This record gives sequence, C-alpha cells and structure tokens, in this order.
Amino acid sequence: MESLDDVIDAMIAERVIHRHRRKWLIAIALVVVLALIVLATGGWKEKKGRTVPTLTAPVTVTSGKWEYNFTKAEIVQHPKKEYSPAEAELLVYFDLKNMDDEQDTSDSLDGRLLRLVPGDGKDLVESNGATCRGQIGWVVVFGLPPVSCVTEFDVPPDFTADMVEIGVLGERFESDQGFLGANEDPYWQQPEADAVVQIKPTVVVDNGEKK
Amino acid sequence: MKLYRPATVLVGVLFILLGGLTRLATPDHVYEKQNMEVVHGTIGEKLPYGDSSVTITRMKFAKTVLESGAGEDDEPIETDGVFVALEWDAVRGVTEPLSANPTLRADGGTIYRPLGVTESGLDFPDPGFAQIGAVVFEVNPSDLKGLTLRLDPAPLYNVLYVAIDVDLGIPSEDVAQRLVDGAAAQYVFGNREVRVA
Repeated sequence: MESLDDVIDAMIAERVIHRHRRKWLIAIALVVVLALIVLATGGWKEKKGRTVPTLTAPVTVTSGKWEYNFTKAEIVQHPKKEYSPAEAELLVYFDLKNMDDEQDTSDSLDGRLLRLVPGDGKDLVESNGATCRGQIGWVVVFGLPPVSCVTEFDVPPDFTADMVEIGVLGERFESDQGFLGANEDPYWQQPEADAVVQIKPTVVVDNGEKK
Repeated sequence: MKLYRPATVLVGVLFILLGGLTRLATPDHVYEKQNMEVVHGTIGEKLPYGDSSVTITRMKFAKTVLESGAGEDDEPIETDGVFVALEWDAVRGVTEPLSANPTLRADGGTIYRPLGVTESGLDFPDPGFAQIGAVVFEVNPSDLKGLTLRLDPAPLYNVLYVAIDVDLGIPSEDVAQRLVDGAAAQYVFGNREVRVA
C-alpha cells in the first residue's frame, strides 16, 4: 500500500512536469522552423564559387608532380549506325612532364587528376588518364622532356560546347599523421584543385571508315 | 609475503640494461625493415625468391619497342630517352611467390617503372613450370650509372619477405654512353614461353 507521502510526491512531480510543457513545445517547434528556413534559403554554408584561377589554353600548368601544357581539345562524334548507337567523347591534348623531384620516380597520370567541369552544378567527369605514344596509362619518366599525350572524357552523344573547362587537380607530397601508427614517410596524396583550363574544342565527326 | 625481493628487482634492472645494450650494439637495425632480406646478384645468376627463383638472362638497349602481336599497321613505340629490355627466366617453386614489382634504380636517384604495356612485366607460372619473358623500362640516358634492377614483393608486413637486387653492370657514365650509342633500332617482345622446370 502506497503511503500518503508517495502519492503527494507523485502529484507534485506531475505538476512540475506539466507546468512548463507548452513553453518547451513552443521552443522546440521554433528550432525546427528555424532549421527549415535555413535549409530552404540554401544552407548555412557560404557559397564561395571558384577559388582557383581560370586559365585559357594554350597554357602551361604545374600542379602536384605534373607539368601540363594544354594545346587543343576535340569533340569526336560517332554518328548512329545500324549496329551501334551514337557516341561522343571529348579529347584533350597536352604535353606532360614528370616533375617529381621528391621521389624522382616514373609514374602514369591518374585519371582523377583531370576532370571535365560541365557547369550548371553537374558532377565533374573524371578522365581516363594520359594516353601517350599510343599507349593508355603511359609511364612518364622523370628527367625526360615532355611527351605529348591525350586524355578522354565520356560525354553524352549530343554534347556541344563553345568552351570546355578542364579542372586540374594536384597531389600534395605529405605524410600521414603518425600518432595513430601510420607510417610518417611522405608520399603524393590528397589531390586538390589547382586550376581550371578553358579550351575551345573543335568538332570532329568520326564516320568509322578505319578504326 | 614480500612482493619485490631485491633479487627480483635486480633481474628486472638487468633485463632493461640488456635491452638497451642490444640497441646500442645494432643501431642500424633499429629503424630498418627487419622482415626484409635482400638477395644481391648479377645478370645470369640464379637468384632465389622464396622457393622460386629468377634469372635475368639478358639486357638489351633499344630505341623503339614493338609488341609481339603487332601487325603491319602497328607503329613501334618511340622514346626521347632509351629503352632497356631485361629478359628473365622465372622458375616457380611449390608455394606461390609474392608478386614481384620490378623497378630500376640508378645512382642519380631516379627510379624507373616498367613500360605500361601488357607484355612488359614479370610473373611466375604454375608450380613445376618455368617461364621466360621480358620487362622493358623507358629510362633517362643521363642517369644510368649504377643501374640496378630491384624486385620488390607486394608489401605484406607480417612475413619475412625477400627482395632481389640485380646489378646490371653499368659502373660508369662512359659505359652507359657506350650502351646508349650501341642501342638496337628495335626491341621486339618475344613470346612468353613456358616449359617444365
């Protein structure tokens, strides 16, 4: 059997809980509304736009361990045929030099370091690396003169542009944080945007006589 | 009962001193990779790699490279430097060897990676067999002195692994220059022939 004290305690507790309930509900509702307003007006984060320089080809860009000399761009269109759908790709030509004086090591260009910037807030398109001397994934030797290369971006068949923009990312020669047990020797990692290169593409129609 | 008798403490101190002494005795080994053994050799020498073995049979300098399956229309691959082709003979043991990454190192500090074509590489056949093939490097003619082929196993940190260092016999700049001057016009990849070991 409950004592009278227990019953009174329970009653007081109930009162205390209920006394400010409306105020709390109003406060929580206010926070939710505020959050919705911030979301609706475009988020908390300040939009900065482009923070890297925009350059116009022909131009030489040094980014990370690579030096690029962008020359020209081509939109190659493959019209629809009986057995194949219409396709297009964007080819960007450049001279590539290995500038890795940290490690003096030959390496092939990572396709993630060159990206097509389609604009209008669309996702960037990664390239397929550097094809030099007719070989995809060519290993560029440190210490040799620049070699002329081409990279390819997949674009929709109806892709047209007066000016294509290629984002150039460069890796940084850094080490990982050692206190978690990682090796502290630095290596090329963490690509960051370094420049955007604008190139005027020419349109080439590939009728597929010889491939 | 007394937990730490003087003798116990003495033994502990002795162990600490011993640990310090071993560090003092081999200071080079403290920061070195203890789980790596490097086998040194030269061209023509059969070098053990686990229970498999690798022999570098021939070194050739060339100005262009052609793949073995190339047709009439295929252009040879050119270079502003020079190509070094190393032909190997790999005999496979019973256990699967760690895949070997070949690199060339020169005294000037340059590290060369193999040419990125399918046929240029080094791998082992099935147990009981041996295979020949070639790995080709594009190199800078001005940094060839002391050229060494290094076969590094894929990094696994919990096993004792063996790396191979093959001295390619280029002791001076003059020798390097001679080899570059005498480079063949073309190197054609041979077929990867497999035979019973």
